[in-house]
This record gives sequence, structure tokens and C-alpha cells, in this order.
Amino acid sequence: MFSRLLKGVHWIEDSLLVASLASMLGMAVLQILLRNFFDFGIFWAESFLRILVLWVAMLGAMVATRESNHISIDVLTRYVSGVSLRIVSFVGKAFSALVCGVVAYYAFLYVQFEYVDETIEFAKVPTWLCQSIIPVGFSVMSLRFGLQAVLSLVRGVPA
Amino acid sequence: MNAVMSAVLVLIALLGAPLFVVILAASMLGFMSADIDLMVITIEIYRLVEAPLLLALPLFTFAGYVLAESRLSFRLVRITQVFLGWLPGGLAVVAFVTCAFFTAFTGASGVTIVAVGALLFPALVQSGYKERFSLGLVTTSGSLGLLLAPSLPLILYGVIVQQMNLPNPFSIQELFIAGILPALLMIVLLTGYAIWSHRGIKIERGTYTRADAVDAIKSARWEIPLPFIILGGIYSGYFAVSEAAAVTAFYVLLVEVVIHREVKYGELPRIVRESMIMVGGILLILGVSLAFTNFLIDAEVPQLLFEWIQTYVDSKITFLILLNIILLMLGAILDIFSALVIMIPLIVPIALRFGVDPIHLGIIFLANMQIGYFTPPIGMNLFIASYRFKRSITELYRATLPFMFVLIIALMIITYVPAVSLIFLDRD
Repeated sequence: MFSRLLKGVHWIEDSLLVASLASMLGMAVLQILLRNFFDFGIFWAESFLRILVLWVAMLGAMVATRESNHISIDVLTRYVSGVSLRIVSFVGKAFSALVCGVVAYYAFLYVQFEYVDETIEFAKVPTWLCQSIIPVGFSVMSLRFGLQAVLSLVRGVPA
Repeated sequence: MNAVMSAVLVLIALLGAPLFVVILAASMLGFMSADIDLMVITIEIYRLVEAPLLLALPLFTFAGYVLAESRLSFRLVRITQVFLGWLPGGLAVVAFVTCAFFTAFTGASGVTIVAVGALLFPALVQSGYKERFSLGLVTTSGSLGLLLAPSLPLILYGVIVQQMNLPNPFSIQELFIAGILPALLMIVLLTGYAIWSHRGIKIERGTYTRADAVDAIKSARWEIPLPFIILGGIYSGYFAVSEAAAVTAFYVLLVEVVIHREVKYGELPRIVRESMIMVGGILLILGVSLAFTNFLIDAEVPQLLFEWIQTYVDSKITFLILLNIILLMLGAILDIFSALVIMIPLIVPIALRFGVDPIHLGIIFLANMQIGYFTPPIGMNLFIASYRFKRSITELYRATLPFMFVLIIALMIITYVPAVSLIFLDRD
């Protein structure tokens, strides 16, 4: 049950990521074609593309968390093993979960303000929707780091 | 943020916590101590949408990953061999040029060593180069080409500096032009070393025949226009950088998926995921560091740092020497993207005070980082090459050492002769 839910979430993330990059590429190419051959442009395309960069960044980061593939310095972990490695890994993951959790909380608050203000980002798309990926992304990352923290303590750190 | 807190954060970073988390934590502590609401972090991250240039990052990276999955590395080696293989140094020149080109497109993410290095290593040994030399060559070349357009770190440097509203701004085009001669200088010096270190030893050289040339061009006829589209488009000002990225990604998809069919449709979602994990990681660090940089500037850290440095360093030359030493050490422990994001906001204002041109600074910075890729203890190229060629890390330390000396000489020329980077630019 839990693993099916997890699979579903992964599928949604992956699909959103592919869809975001595909629309980014499609829109950018379309814009160039329109400009050069028809002397015409979609006026909200620029804003749309910039929002997509944010979405690709957050979704990519969420998937990176899933695969423990974030950029880190990682000098000391090469020299510890066994129980101490478990503890080191737990501390790092738990700390990350906490930090992402706090960011997510404040991001939710912020996006709520934008929702109330009903600001429009481009065309008819409201700003809060564009920004929503920030709280959602950090919540997902926080949960993931939390889960990984527990797992690394219980099962040890996969090589 | 007091000293104890900073020490704890550094420890957590060294223990392998993701860098973006550490930067976030640092900026949170900073904002909290200044009584600023933490919602500001969201606002800062959302500033990612303010930089139109950033669009180039995911698109170029995706194009690079698709190219790496195709058989471009074979065609590239072949065509370079036909046209450059007869030169003194033969295959070594081929290796440097191919790696530089490949790295410029794929970003020095290790792909070059795996895709091109693995192809060239046996060929180098076969044509008479010593094994340790060949090993050092392919490991070193994994980051050669960082200074050439459209390399990711080069674009990222431009993006970060543009966010800072400098008094003497520059365009990405100028940055791209500035990288050309320094990259060539490195290739020339490395080739010189290859010839010198094998004096008296017979090295096979390729021979140029017309038939080979026609054949090689034919096999790569779809990819040959690519550098012209990108570089021609960007340098002539016809395309903005992000447009060139879109055209490149589109063209690469067309060639490798539809025409060559070397990359299958079904593989594309995986390639998107792999490339965007890298982009996401980099952009997230960039986003959170926007918040951190603002805190640093509010706290006047660059100003204080400058005043502190000024009590010890009073000339541009001494500053540059110090800068090189610090960056080389930094490059040995930080990966290039983190180093860029963390150090550039601190270094650029100080360097400007000492009269260093921001374009020149970018080239110096990346040239240092390029060497950092194979500096012990954790240079990434060393690990990738160790894994790929099944050699011990210590063997690779020894193999890359002479190359490091050659590149440090190049670095010194690049640092102390600004004209190498700036000669084609009109800057005062």
C-alpha cells in the first residue's frame, strides 16, 4: 500500500518534470519561429518560460532528494563506517528535514498571502499557483529527508 | 550568527549534508538574528524567475546529455583525428580538442571521461604514448573546455554576476569570447608537454587523406552545423543565449533521435530526469544562495573582508596571487557549482576594488576550478577515472601531477596577463 503510494508520487514527479521541460523547449522554439517567420510573439511566453525554470529546478531537486543525489561536500563520510556512519548520516538527513520543513512552513504562509491578494503573474495565471511549487517542493523534500534519516538509522547506509 | 553556530554548520556540511540545506540554515540564522521574517527566503528563491538567462541552463544541459547518449564521441574523435592527427603530438592533440569540445557541451560532469576518455585511452597507448601519461591525459582532459561556450559554469558565472548589479557589467557574449584564447593556451601548452615528454620516442601520427576526410565529414554532417548555430548565433547577436539553447536542444533531439536514431524515444524521460536532477541541484543552490548573499551584503561582509584583506595586501598582483592560492585549495574540496555560488558574491566586489575586470576574474576563477577537478583529495575526475579505468586513486594522483603543473603555468599566464582573456573585447 505504502510502496504503491510512493510509486504514484514518483510517477507524478517524473511526469511533471518531463512535461515542464517539454513545454519549456516547445514554447521557446515556438517563440523563435513566430518571431523570425511571422514577426509575431506570444506576449506572456517570456513569463511562462521563467516560471517553468523554477518548476524544473524544484522538481529536479525533489527527484535529486529521492535519489540522494544533491551536491554536497562529503569529505568526512569517506572515513567513517558502521555505526558512526549511521549516526552521521542520520544527523545530516534529520537536519535537512528540519531545515526544509521550516522553509516549507514559511513558504506556505507566503503563498497564502499571494492567494489572498489575488495577484496575477501572467495571462490569467495567478502568482500563488506559480509559487506553489516552492512550499510543495520543500515539504516533499522535508518528508523524504525525514524518511531517509529514520531508514539510515534502522537499516544502515546503502553503499 | 555567532562562531559556535558557524562551526556547527561547517561540520554538518563536511559530514555530507546537502549544500543547499547548509546555505539555507546559515541564511535562516542570519535573518533570525536580524529579526527578519523567514518568509523572505521564499521571496529570494522566487527571484530565480527574474533571470532570463537561466533558461539556457536546463536546455543546454539536456542537449548535452542527449549528445552523450548518442555515438557523437566516436564521430568526433574520428573527424578530429583526420584533420589534426597528422600534427606533431598526433593523437594527443586530437584528445585535447575532442575533450574540450565535448566538455563545453556537456559540462564537466564526468561524461567526457566516460564517453571520450574511454575511447581515447587505449588508442593513445597503442599509438606509442606511455600508459601513465595517457591515463593522466584523459583524466585531466575531463574538465578541459570549461572556458568554452556554452559550458554551464561559464553561463552560471554570468548569471550570478549579473544579479549583483556591477558598475561595469558585461554580457554573456563577452564572457564567451574571453574564454577562447585561455582555452587554446591550455591546449597548446598541454600539447607542448605531450611532445616534450615523449621526445626520442616514436609516436605514430595519422596521415591525412582526402577520402578519409570526406568520409569523416559525411558521418558527422548533421552535428557539424551545431557549433556554428550556437557560436555563430550567439556571437553575431542573432540569438540570445537562451534562444541558442532552445535551438540547440531542439536540433540535437532532431538529429540524434529522429535522424540518427541512436537515442530512442523511450529513453528520453530517463535522460530528462538525469539531466534535470543535475540542473535542479544547481538551481536550488543558486536560489537559496540568493537569500544568503543578500544577508551577507546587508551585514556588509564583502566590505569587512575587503578592509581586512587590504591590511595585508595592497597591490593587484599580490591579490591575484592570494586569489589563486585560495581558489586552488577551494577547488580541491568544493565542486565547481557550489564554489561559484558561494564564492563569487564574496570575491567579485573585492576583486573590483583591486581593479580586476569581472570578465577576467571569471576566467581566472574557472581556470582554477578546472584544475580543482583533478586535485587530491576529492577531485571528481580522479574518482571517475579510477572507476572507469580500474586504477587506484594514488596511481591517478601521480599520473595527473605533471599535467597539473602545465595547467598551473597556463593559469599563471591567464591570471597575470589579462590580455589573454580581454584582447578581443573593448573594455576599460
